[in-house]
Amino acid sequence: MLLPPTDATIVARRAEIVAALREIVPHGVVADPSGLATFDSDALSAYHQMPLVCVLPSNRGQISQILKYAQEQGVPIVPRGAGTSLSGGALPREDGILIGMGRMKRIIEIDYENGCVVAEPGVTNLNITKAVEANGFYYAPDPSSQVACTIGGNVAENSGGLHCLKYGLTTNNLLGVTMVLPGGEIVTLGGKCGAQGGLDLLGLVTGSEGLLGVVVEVVVKILRKAPVTRTLLASFDTVPAAGACVAAIIADGVVPAAMEFMDRRAAEAIESYNQPGYPAGAEAILIIDADGVEADVSHAVSRVTDIVAKCGGKTIEATDEKQRARIWSGRKAAFAAMGKLAPDMICMDGTIPRHTLPYVLEEMAKLSEQHSLGFCNVFHAGDGNLHPLIVFDMMKPGEFERAEEFGADILRLCVKVGGVLSGEHGIGVEKRDLMTDMFSTADLEQQGRVKCAFDAQGLFNPGKVFPTLSACVEQGHIHVHGAQLPHPHLPRY
Amino acid sequence: MSKADNQAQVIEAVHAARADRSPFEIVAGGTRRGVGRPLLDSKGADLALLDVSGLSGIVKYEPEELILTAGPATPLGEISAALGGRGQRLGFDPADWSRLLKSNGTTTLAGAASSDASGSGRLRHGGARDSLLGFQAVNGLGESFRGGGKVVKNVTGFDLPKLVCGAYGTLCVLTEMTFRVYPKPQYSAVLCLADVSPEVGFAALRKIAHSALEPAGLAYLPASMLPEVGEGAALIKLEGARQPLEEKIALAHGLLAHGLLGNAMRRIEDDMFGAIGCGEKFADLPGDVWRVMVKASDAPRAARELNARYWLGDWAGGLIWLAAPPADAARIRAVAAGLQGQAMLLRASAESRAEHGLYAAQPPALAALNRAVKAAFDPLSLFNPGRL
Repeated sequence: MLLPPTDATIVARRAEIVAALREIVPHGVVADPSGLATFDSDALSAYHQMPLVCVLPSNRGQISQILKYAQEQGVPIVPRGAGTSLSGGALPREDGILIGMGRMKRIIEIDYENGCVVAEPGVTNLNITKAVEANGFYYAPDPSSQVACTIGGNVAENSGGLHCLKYGLTTNNLLGVTMVLPGGEIVTLGGKCGAQGGLDLLGLVTGSEGLLGVVVEVVVKILRKAPVTRTLLASFDTVPAAGACVAAIIADGVVPAAMEFMDRRAAEAIESYNQPGYPAGAEAILIIDADGVEADVSHAVSRVTDIVAKCGGKTIEATDEKQRARIWSGRKAAFAAMGKLAPDMICMDGTIPRHTLPYVLEEMAKLSEQHSLGFCNVFHAGDGNLHPLIVFDMMKPGEFERAEEFGADILRLCVKVGGVLSGEHGIGVEKRDLMTDMFSTADLEQQGRVKCAFDAQGLFNPGKVFPTLSACVEQGHIHVHGAQLPHPHLPRY
Repeated sequence: MSKADNQAQVIEAVHAARADRSPFEIVAGGTRRGVGRPLLDSKGADLALLDVSGLSGIVKYEPEELILTAGPATPLGEISAALGGRGQRLGFDPADWSRLLKSNGTTTLAGAASSDASGSGRLRHGGARDSLLGFQAVNGLGESFRGGGKVVKNVTGFDLPKLVCGAYGTLCVLTEMTFRVYPKPQYSAVLCLADVSPEVGFAALRKIAHSALEPAGLAYLPASMLPEVGEGAALIKLEGARQPLEEKIALAHGLLAHGLLGNAMRRIEDDMFGAIGCGEKFADLPGDVWRVMVKASDAPRAARELNARYWLGDWAGGLIWLAAPPADAARIRAVAAGLQGQAMLLRASAESRAEHGLYAAQPPALAALNRAVKAAFDPLSLFNPGRL
């Protein structure tokens, strides 16, 4: 992976920069090597880089001063939430200030009257739900890392989750943000009433991967928890039958809260890992959640059961909450289960038009042979978001590079069938160089000009999202062994 | 006036405009030309027009994918007919303002999206920004570019489709749009809670809004807008298959049972939400027409302070429509600002629109950012300059 070259003149001024940051945040500057090592990677753990310095501000005033200083001095900035990005969005720079948002984790206001929560960016996704669940509310987007990932990081990545088929991504659940622009100015986009009185910059900033500024406050929608949720497990003898069933369910007008697909390899690995009770011998399995009021859910369940039967599948329904949890715990353990098959893995993330699924699965099997690497498929079937898991062994020379090539080929395949490079993990450094497979030069230049409208000096998260074509130097990979993700306790799906 | 019926002709038109630095107004159906600041050149004359009405027609409709790709000038009627045939609807609830604005012509897909015109369904389904997945357009450099994609879940690069919605054609000339579509509920019912004050009515609506009933519309109309309902009426629209709908109606009664409001609620035959969302209730009333966005809990206070004879609250109170004399403009903006809301001047004379703009002036840093983003697409300010 090529990143923009380190500016040695900035590195040479390190002591001066550290001192200046200490003036702004007296007790929140990490500059010693062991402290900085904590921040040298995110969840794309193949890439490591020590930051020049890490600063942990406690309020927006400090952030404003930091950004003003950085712009005056021409120092790059990398914002970081909890560091759970799977695409390397928070990978530091040797010549850049890493701004960790971990200290800004207050929930500022819970407004049930207007169905929203105002929070600082360092609050974890799950803590928003926890703050309101006693009153029967929750925050809908549920990325798998929700116990650790921050709401600010969710805004940066436009995070999704299992339930976005019905409830949307972060962007559909975000009412407003306050952000500090490069240079230190503070602007508020949207808010409780949702109106912006101009261009929808809130929509633009969501999913901008830390390239446009630092979010210092969010207003998110909360929803009333559905009174009834039922879970179905459908098994099929062939993959095309499962694919056709997904299409038939969608076309029928049922909108499940979640609809997940697993191929045989994934289901078997999971079954041997934590025995969720998946039917043996099925080539494909769907897990389908229906939620809402009782009659709505009954209607959906009976429609889905009929359609599954018509498509040649068999349905089992979870009889109680415990079984429901067991079925989902299997799906959520897909990452860990695959870890049993090989020491290392990478999780890809592309979206395809759903009808191309059988073709894409077939092509992926061919690619797997070509690259001599195993893989399995878990897939947010409802919205066409694939998560192929490629398994390999870092210790075997060349395997990591082959795994990356295999992953890149899968994403090129997604683009070829009319899909996109990322459904919910973002581009970061991981897929940056594939952007030219999806976008023309004019497309990328247009996005580049939008970036410049916010950050004329190009100081925010350089080297992420957009391919940098000139004067790049190679940055080494650091060996990681034993499938040690930076957050091994987090489920990944 | 020039006409562009395809992308190549749009590019040609933009290059021509660049060559002699002559901005133009982008027109398809033309029903929304009277919204926002009038478009005039430096001498005060009307701008030249670029007629893109030929960029019309459904390019690809895939019901199983829940996706529709169409030319931006495709009439909304054509789209809903095609979708309706397969039991589906657009991902957002586009509002046709042509009766309100007394404009001739056909309201189009891009017209509704570019003006962020959502009806009552916005409460549940979001706006155009929540369902526009991708687009193809020509920027102010005369280059064709795409934003977004043609799948329902996508975080690849900047989310330019969001920017295009509500930009009133100030960023680019759209040549193709891809929307998410949804299944259309089989049945709907409108419940009317009559003779309630704005306080009680809006409180009831918020209660339903924050329930699991997934309401399709929640509005309050005072007696001036709906006779024979006493002080005013709260209207609740629910949707679903036959049996679930009946259950939702029963649940709505139960939720409002406190204070016996549930008993006073009646099912009515007239689904007024189409007319409410399109502003038709104000079409024949004199004065300027405003859409004031506030937080829903401020609706009763907003209604009181705005102090208009003719008004109604949609989106459970998050949107107040009203008609007011032109002299009230500054006062209405002040009330909205006091509530951290936003007052949009939708229908007014050209003079009034020139003076007050579509929205209130933004704080300087935000205004500068808006200008910079506009310039990133259209550096010579050729497209609908000043409208927003």
